[in-house]
Amino acid sequence: MTSKKSILPIIFFVMILYFLFSGLGKDPTLIPSPLIGKKIPEFQSKTLLDDTSITEKDLLGNYILLNVWGSWCYACTLEHNNLIDIYETNRISIYGLNYKDDKDSAIKWLKQRGNPYKKNIIDNKGDIGIDFGVYGAPETFLINSKGVIIHKHVGPIDKNYFKNIILPLLKNE
Amino acid sequence: MITEFGNLFLSVALSLSLCSTILLFFKDSVDTNIRHNICLKFTKFSFLLIFLSFGLLAYAFLIDDFSLRYVANNSNLTLEKVYKFSAVWGAHEGSILLWVLVLSAWAALIGIYSTSLPKKFVTDMLSIMALLLTFFLLFILITSNPFDRIFPVPENGRDLNPLLQDPGLIIHPPLLYLGYVGTSVPFAFAVAVLINKSIKIEWISWLRKWVISSWMFLTVGISLGSWWAYHELGWGGWWFWDPVENASFMPWLAITALLHSLIVSEKRGIFISWSILLSILTFSLSLLGTFLVRSGILVSVHAFANDPERGLYILLFLTLIVGLSLILYFMNSSSLISKKSYQVSSKEFILLINNLFLTITTFAILLGTLYPLITSSLDLGKISVGAPYFNFIFSALMLPIVFLMAPAIYSSWKNTDYGRFKKLLSSLFFYSIIISYVFMNFIFESDIFVVYLAIFLAVFTILSSVVKLIQILLIRRDEGLFDKIISTPSTLFANSFSHVGIGVLIIGITISTYFSEQKEIIMKEGTSVVIRQVTVKFIGVEDKIASNYSSQVGIFDTFEDKSYKLSFFPEKRTYNIQKNVMTEAAISSNLLRDIYIALGDKFSDDSWVVRIYYKPFIQFIWYGALLMILGGIFGIFGKEKFPRKT
Repeated sequence: MTSKKSILPIIFFVMILYFLFSGLGKDPTLIPSPLIGKKIPEFQSKTLLDDTSITEKDLLGNYILLNVWGSWCYACTLEHNNLIDIYETNRISIYGLNYKDDKDSAIKWLKQRGNPYKKNIIDNKGDIGIDFGVYGAPETFLINSKGVIIHKHVGPIDKNYFKNIILPLLKNE
Repeated sequence: MITEFGNLFLSVALSLSLCSTILLFFKDSVDTNIRHNICLKFTKFSFLLIFLSFGLLAYAFLIDDFSLRYVANNSNLTLEKVYKFSAVWGAHEGSILLWVLVLSAWAALIGIYSTSLPKKFVTDMLSIMALLLTFFLLFILITSNPFDRIFPVPENGRDLNPLLQDPGLIIHPPLLYLGYVGTSVPFAFAVAVLINKSIKIEWISWLRKWVISSWMFLTVGISLGSWWAYHELGWGGWWFWDPVENASFMPWLAITALLHSLIVSEKRGIFISWSILLSILTFSLSLLGTFLVRSGILVSVHAFANDPERGLYILLFLTLIVGLSLILYFMNSSSLISKKSYQVSSKEFILLINNLFLTITTFAILLGTLYPLITSSLDLGKISVGAPYFNFIFSALMLPIVFLMAPAIYSSWKNTDYGRFKKLLSSLFFYSIIISYVFMNFIFESDIFVVYLAIFLAVFTILSSVVKLIQILLIRRDEGLFDKIISTPSTLFANSFSHVGIGVLIIGITISTYFSEQKEIIMKEGTSVVIRQVTVKFIGVEDKIASNYSSQVGIFDTFEDKSYKLSFFPEKRTYNIQKNVMTEAAISSNLLRDIYIALGDKFSDDSWVVRIYYKPFIQFIWYGALLMILGGIFGIFGKEKFPRKT
């Protein structure tokens, strides 16, 4: 009689486990960006290395990646070689959004590690980041020639990511 | 060398724990004395080794050894010494090492302080603790080794997360872990009982002290955490129903239920099977909390880096350990059922209802916490359950629990003398209504029914606990007051203090929630604003440079009746390395109210966003927690019974 009741905790536990296992590996921060399918927000800033002005119009005309990074961000240092790799094998233009960073340490960082970026947009206060809906660095946006955001990735990207996610998207377009 | 010795110590501790675990399978073939001797020695030695490796890691932080990846990621040359030390548990790897240290400490303690229990039973418990240790040591060595190297060695570290550079955060994790991991003791007890299919009442009295200790540390840890959130987050809030807060609160609710059901088991020999199940549940919730924090499957301010591999490892262990113990419970618990019956008017019945509601509350919070997972795995979209759900369900379920506190205090075991009980309670009830009515009409005017109800319940609980204590002190008229206090069983103090604490806590929550005033405004330098008869004048903002951050300090003067009272210096700090901006609110507290000023963003050259709160009675929340902690201390160290009269 009693053993029948004492199976209830097991049943309940199995149910909880089901949800826990199904949640594992899914990224809770992967909220579909409201900006996907929309044009990139307007901005006006300067570039990091040559200090010329840059706006959203300068990003038009080609498929580009916009990579959000900062010299303070450890995951960005891990991602950096992948970016160089992606640039060298695919020759896609990569723009950087230098996010909440200090200008001198950002320049020093690029000199030490190599520069895969076509241009870097200075965003030391993070205002442009807010318009793009940036959660944190690194983040990468795929933007088409008309300036429409096609895809967004939170966290570091690598070669496989480019091959498996971005290339198919480019073919679809 | 630090890396080598750290790894060596942890590996030896792992092998010792593994041996102690394996001994459990030879319980019938190896002599109990030998087995006890080995397990006890191994447990103590494991503790020593883990303690040494923890010390090594702390040493690596103090000497800025950035060849350790963990040190490089979480410290910096300019970091203050005390934070270099607390940075040891500032991120995942080190905090899980602290987890293990605390676990091995509990294991060693129950090994040493268990002479009143049979050796065979103690040995089984030690083996089960060793099993838990084995898992967590493996977890550290495989996925989260704080002694891993980094190459090339960086010149400087990336600094400790600025959120954690706060005095409250130095002691919050260790104390919380003491309680959190302490739930492994009732768990080991429960599994040992289920393996042996027998239990004695004296063992339950032994267990109760350990459960109270764990409960007390959890209470300390949780209240420190909320105190920290109140001071550091800059929004004037102290509880956010964040998944990680819930992860510590669920075990607290479960262990509170366990505390009460163990009293019944000890006094009356019933609810034993239920107490065993609750012990398993409490530890399962601790493990679940650890999983939620480390796997990053829920969005939380506390979450460590999202790492499915770590999450998977903990989840597999959770499945194994909880699954096995529940199967064991399913097979063997029927031998623990007592045939004794009890009356509806008895104390056991009231405590049964208390347990029922505490358990339902625990599951309601579990449901809310896991709800985002449930909806996303059933494809119902991304939904998160916010504070409104928790606030509503929690207050609704707490209502009967608090209401039953007074009757529980005055009821008797087996059968309550109904006449006397009714007379006493109805007069307490009556006085509580009057007191709360007067309080609400003359001090805080309100026409919200819920506020009246909550204040009434709090007063009812406080009054009944205090009156009960006075009654007991007055019974023996022949002794002096001091002698009476000394000779009164401390369990009575434990009971009164913690229930008064709950009452005080409820008053604090209710009044500060319903009667706070807040102003979130843009203030120009030199202008003033009035909040609840206090005039706050914004003088200006000054820059300040410290060793690892620069900050902007707001200067505010307050006036009451046109005379100057005091100045506030809320800060907005920018930490040099990680560029995080932190709010340091300026708070003036006294018994009856807090004035809380936080500096927001700069709006224009001479105007800033400013948040000013006037929060009456908010300190009562922590006074209440303090009383509960005192109650816990009485419960752990005091004696149980009246001395026999000679």
